[in-house]
Amino acid sequence: MWGKAWPASAMAAALAGVLFAGTAAAQVPEGAKMPVAEEHNTVTLGEPGDHRVYVLDPVFPHLIAGKVYVVDGDEQQVIGTMNAGYVPNLVLGKGGKELYFAETFWSRGTRGERTDVVTTYDASTLSPTGEVKLPRGRFLVVTKRWDAISTPDGRFLLSYNMDPATSVSVVDLENDEYVGEIETPGCALMYPMADRRFAMLCADGSLLTVDFDENGEAELSRGEPFFDAQNDPVFEHAAVSTSAEMTYYISYNGMVYPTDMSGETPEVGDAWSLVSEEDKAENWRPGGWMPASYHPGSDRLFVLMHQGGEWTHKNAGSEIWVFDASEGKRLDRIELEEHAASVAVTKDDEPLLYALTEAASLSIFDAANGYAHKGTMGQLGDSPLVLMVHGE
Amino acid sequence: MSDVHSQVLDRVFERMSRAMANHTSRRSFLARVGMALVGGAVLPILPVDRTGRTKEAQAAEFAKTAQTDDPTQCNYWRYCAIDGYMCGCCGGGPSTCPPGTQPSPTSWVGSCINPDDGKTYLLAYRDCCGKDSCARCACLATEGEMPIYRPQLNNDIIWCFGAPSMVYHCSSAALIGEA
Repeated sequence: MWGKAWPASAMAAALAGVLFAGTAAAQVPEGAKMPVAEEHNTVTLGEPGDHRVYVLDPVFPHLIAGKVYVVDGDEQQVIGTMNAGYVPNLVLGKGGKELYFAETFWSRGTRGERTDVVTTYDASTLSPTGEVKLPRGRFLVVTKRWDAISTPDGRFLLSYNMDPATSVSVVDLENDEYVGEIETPGCALMYPMADRRFAMLCADGSLLTVDFDENGEAELSRGEPFFDAQNDPVFEHAAVSTSAEMTYYISYNGMVYPTDMSGETPEVGDAWSLVSEEDKAENWRPGGWMPASYHPGSDRLFVLMHQGGEWTHKNAGSEIWVFDASEGKRLDRIELEEHAASVAVTKDDEPLLYALTEAASLSIFDAANGYAHKGTMGQLGDSPLVLMVHGE
Repeated sequence: MSDVHSQVLDRVFERMSRAMANHTSRRSFLARVGMALVGGAVLPILPVDRTGRTKEAQAAEFAKTAQTDDPTQCNYWRYCAIDGYMCGCCGGGPSTCPPGTQPSPTSWVGSCINPDDGKTYLLAYRDCCGKDSCARCACLATEGEMPIYRPQLNNDIIWCFGAPSMVYHCSSAALIGEA
């Protein structure tokens, strides 16, 4: 990696420049202007544009130190990075001024006292500004997007916990305090619904609705099973749009369960299949880490697809299939040069489609113009898995 | 189908991982699976399918290409349901933790076929915890793997519960009997 970034000859030249500055200066052509001195400032970021994307790497070879690359998809540039603790979750604050990590540290690196914490970051400096401790801890798992969310009004952060009893930790972001724990037996992950309401997926294939108040008091309401959790479970990483108040749960075998999150309880609509009989015969199925993303303006659902047998649900996709989400009809197929584990589409009217590849690179497509491949950015960590855009 | 209220709780632990594998052109996801037996269940966990239809088929499939000599390879016969970094590459072995790490007191149980005698054995997949990722010899299994709302069968959970540290280091596979 360093060999690519800094060829040995360039390193030698740079060292020589330091060691023999006098000699180097003497080689500047006559008449060329050299800056005498320049200011050395630190960049601050403006408000996030629609095409900003956050690439989270749990860093498998060094799990205690997660990392986030903040990317401007238009410029195809990394515009900053963030350090985090063990298997962190990133939460994008309402309005884009703040970012939050739910993360875990030990006082001596890999040892010492364990601390679980929600850390607030200023989104313009990418620097921490405060923290709230999570006394019950948090669920330690390879980072899953829906293990930490904020409420649509931005007031509360919710962090899923398994210690190993399952619960949700509630943090008041306005007053920087831990509110308490909501016990949620048998259910996991959190999908946004309303300011004081969220849904969870349960082991029997049902959704749990949790209504809670500012004191963390909660009422739980369990729905009927809507998928076969034993034989065809839905992926944890559903495609979510908070503006459309829709969540699309997708099963290992390619069933789509469009779910209206706007009411008092989630309402699962008619299920449809991503794969035709012909597709099935060719063994096409969804897969990856975050296999699907939804664009509310165009009602398009983007799904990573691969050819493989049963239990290949974590295989990266060789193509992205584009569906009309209401009609359940495939509109396009996008071939990927490098297989991708996660996909995300921005939520604006001129959306970009991001595919995070197995080679730790980000492929960028123009979703408003025939899915033209705009470019691929490399060197995004060791094992990046999670993509986040605003509006999910 | 077993019952959540049984006195014995089966746990499965798997981990997503990924090869550093600079020498391979395509890095792949790596995972590990295990199943724990602990007394006095504390988890409010829902029923688990332990009829094992899938697992038996898996074990037989795995055994076709398994070997019994080299515990640093992913096709070592005991690893039919393991995921993660193999302790045999990190200073430990199939039934020992590397220096300075501790086995999780809970172990996961899988059943693997020994291709030498054709018999099926029970394996305790114990995580060694207390140092950062070993990051060597990552092995993968996703057959039968389920989302975290069915945690007993999920391969992403860090299962060092009960160990002095929740920092995952590597995975081992100790023999505990004949199936």
